[in-house]
Amino acid sequence: MTHLLPRRALLAAPLLAAPLLAAPGTLRAQTQARLLVIGGGFGGATAANFARRNHPWLDVTLVEPKRHFVTCPYGNLVLAGTRQIGQITHGYDGLRARGVRVVHDWASGIDAAARRVRLAGGETLTYDRLILSPGIALRWGAIEGYDEAASEIMPHGWVPGEGAQTLLLRRQLEEMPDGGVVGLAIPANPFRCPPGPYERISMIASYLKRHKPRSKILALDAKEAFSKQGLFQDAWAQLYPGMIEWVPGNRDGRVTRVDARERVLETEFGTRHRVAVANVIPPQSAARIAIEAGLTDQSGWAPVNPRSFESRLAPGIHVVGDANIPGPMPKSGYVANSTAKQAVASAAALLRGETPPEAVYFNTCYSHVGEDYGISIVGVFRPNAEGTAIAEVPNSGGVSPRGNLPENRRLEALHADAWYDSITKDMFA
Amino acid sequence: MSANLSTPRIRAPRSARAGEVVEIRTLMEHPMETGLRHEGGRIVPRDMLTGMRVRMNGEDVLEAKFRNGTAANPFHVFFLRIERASDLEFTWTDEAGRVARATHRISLA
Amino acid sequence: MSLSRRAALSLALLPFAALASEDALNAAIRAEIGAATPQEGGITLRVPPVAENGGQVPVTVLVDSPQNATRHVTAIHLFATRNPTPGIASFKLGPALARAEIQTRIRMAENQMLVVVAQMNDGSVHRASAEIRVATGGCLT
Repeated sequence: MTHLLPRRALLAAPLLAAPLLAAPGTLRAQTQARLLVIGGGFGGATAANFARRNHPWLDVTLVEPKRHFVTCPYGNLVLAGTRQIGQITHGYDGLRARGVRVVHDWASGIDAAARRVRLAGGETLTYDRLILSPGIALRWGAIEGYDEAASEIMPHGWVPGEGAQTLLLRRQLEEMPDGGVVGLAIPANPFRCPPGPYERISMIASYLKRHKPRSKILALDAKEAFSKQGLFQDAWAQLYPGMIEWVPGNRDGRVTRVDARERVLETEFGTRHRVAVANVIPPQSAARIAIEAGLTDQSGWAPVNPRSFESRLAPGIHVVGDANIPGPMPKSGYVANSTAKQAVASAAALLRGETPPEAVYFNTCYSHVGEDYGISIVGVFRPNAEGTAIAEVPNSGGVSPRGNLPENRRLEALHADAWYDSITKDMFA
Repeated sequence: MSANLSTPRIRAPRSARAGEVVEIRTLMEHPMETGLRHEGGRIVPRDMLTGMRVRMNGEDVLEAKFRNGTAANPFHVFFLRIERASDLEFTWTDEAGRVARATHRISLA
Repeated sequence: MSLSRRAALSLALLPFAALASEDALNAAIRAEIGAATPQEGGITLRVPPVAENGGQVPVTVLVDSPQNATRHVTAIHLFATRNPTPGIASFKLGPALARAEIQTRIRMAENQMLVVVAQMNDGSVHRASAEIRVATGGCLT
């Protein structure tokens, strides 16, 4: 195909005006275009890798401040002592080898109109389409007294960074005397990884059962129900009898204030629970860059088109991963991976003046509940007929069966390990 | 049905300025079984609170009648105007006639 | 084990009572407000558009009223259109209540409307409704 216009003009003119409509069909596969990816986690790393593999004509740059990525999934197994932090730490050399330009810097601001991203190091990057996968921000102060300083005493362990929070919680569990109470504060929906707090309870229990069997876990929850609840509670009764107390929101489980120095978790109706180790998982929002770029609504999360994952508030930016509003889908690594691919395929189609492909999204959340004991929930989702929202495909999913099924649980634990290996390969090439 | 109603929880300020509007929260643990729910092939017997009554200095300020659509562990938030030191009295009654009480004093700041 | 007579009776009645019919809803409203004709509006309902847990749906009802001696709300009634029975709760409001606002938590057996009726001291009646969808699936089972 002959290019009559310079690449930039061709790309910019029709697409800026009507990003979701098919532009006059002049762009073809040979055209190069700049795909910028911000955030090198489950959404962003997947997007960068998928873009290079499936759309090699895209010039892909990934901006990620950290040189290594520690996954949230399997962090709870580090708490249990059955994984080392090194086993859940990943580098970006595979993506470089795939032809992704990896820039280790902070994206400090997005100019959606000019299609420019400023980096803290001073560089400015321009893009034709942006995949933004910045993850979450913890809402400091949403629980009175819980700020960044308090998290050095009462770790959240929910945004692993380089792993420091996970390791801090692990160290506190190791230093706790037998007979101590481990308290957890669990937020209302939506938050990152709905089954995560309950896998964490399970993995802490498995550590305590082996090393400090007189200890207890007090889980204070803002909610009345949680993901895979029946399966978790069956397993707790079977594996850790008498060890775990879960207090739902409608029995005064909502933690509204903490006193980090006294290690006290205080609930809505003023009950003060003093604990030996406190893990506070605070309410969350989209990461700051998404808020500052005006991509979030009053919920604190970024509304997106259910087919292209393009922001409803700024054209040219596809928001994937935990920062968006994913309809009925959970904020999970699997969903970030699945939707990132659709976002890249949509961005590529729009850059070529084509319609984004039909979408279908998958989720599986595995949870480890004990040694050789795994459970899962599965769902398949797609945009509704009107394209206005995402809906679960009827009868597509489900949860592990209940009952005494040791072989099933053992296999699911193996499946979970295999899932982790394959998704991290899919992300980091 | 347990022998006694559980102890209600109240969240309200200890003091207020004259004319101040204060938030009152109440939580009463109770299964609120409607008698329509099945568990393991059997109907769970009906066990409901009939209502909640809140009095301030002997006068009714709020009276709730609960029907099947009220959730388990009834939770309520409402707002009172405090004009003087006030004694609040809360009572919950169930269909068997049992009563749970709580009191709370708000003094003038 | 044999079922008690009462349980057996309710079992037999269930197929008919499984949904609050429009008649049952109207009868329940009439039982509270008599022959008065409700005017739409004047009530703010804050409900989650999608309830994650139909057993615990947080609801805020705020009636537009100064709550003074001349004009105040005397009662607020909540109903569900598609629960097995329509009644949720009724609240009688005293004069010390600073505003005509009640927050509560209700049960929604399935996607349906919450209907709220407020009675004023002058005998007028206001009515408002809000759709509540109840989530299934997701990561909540």
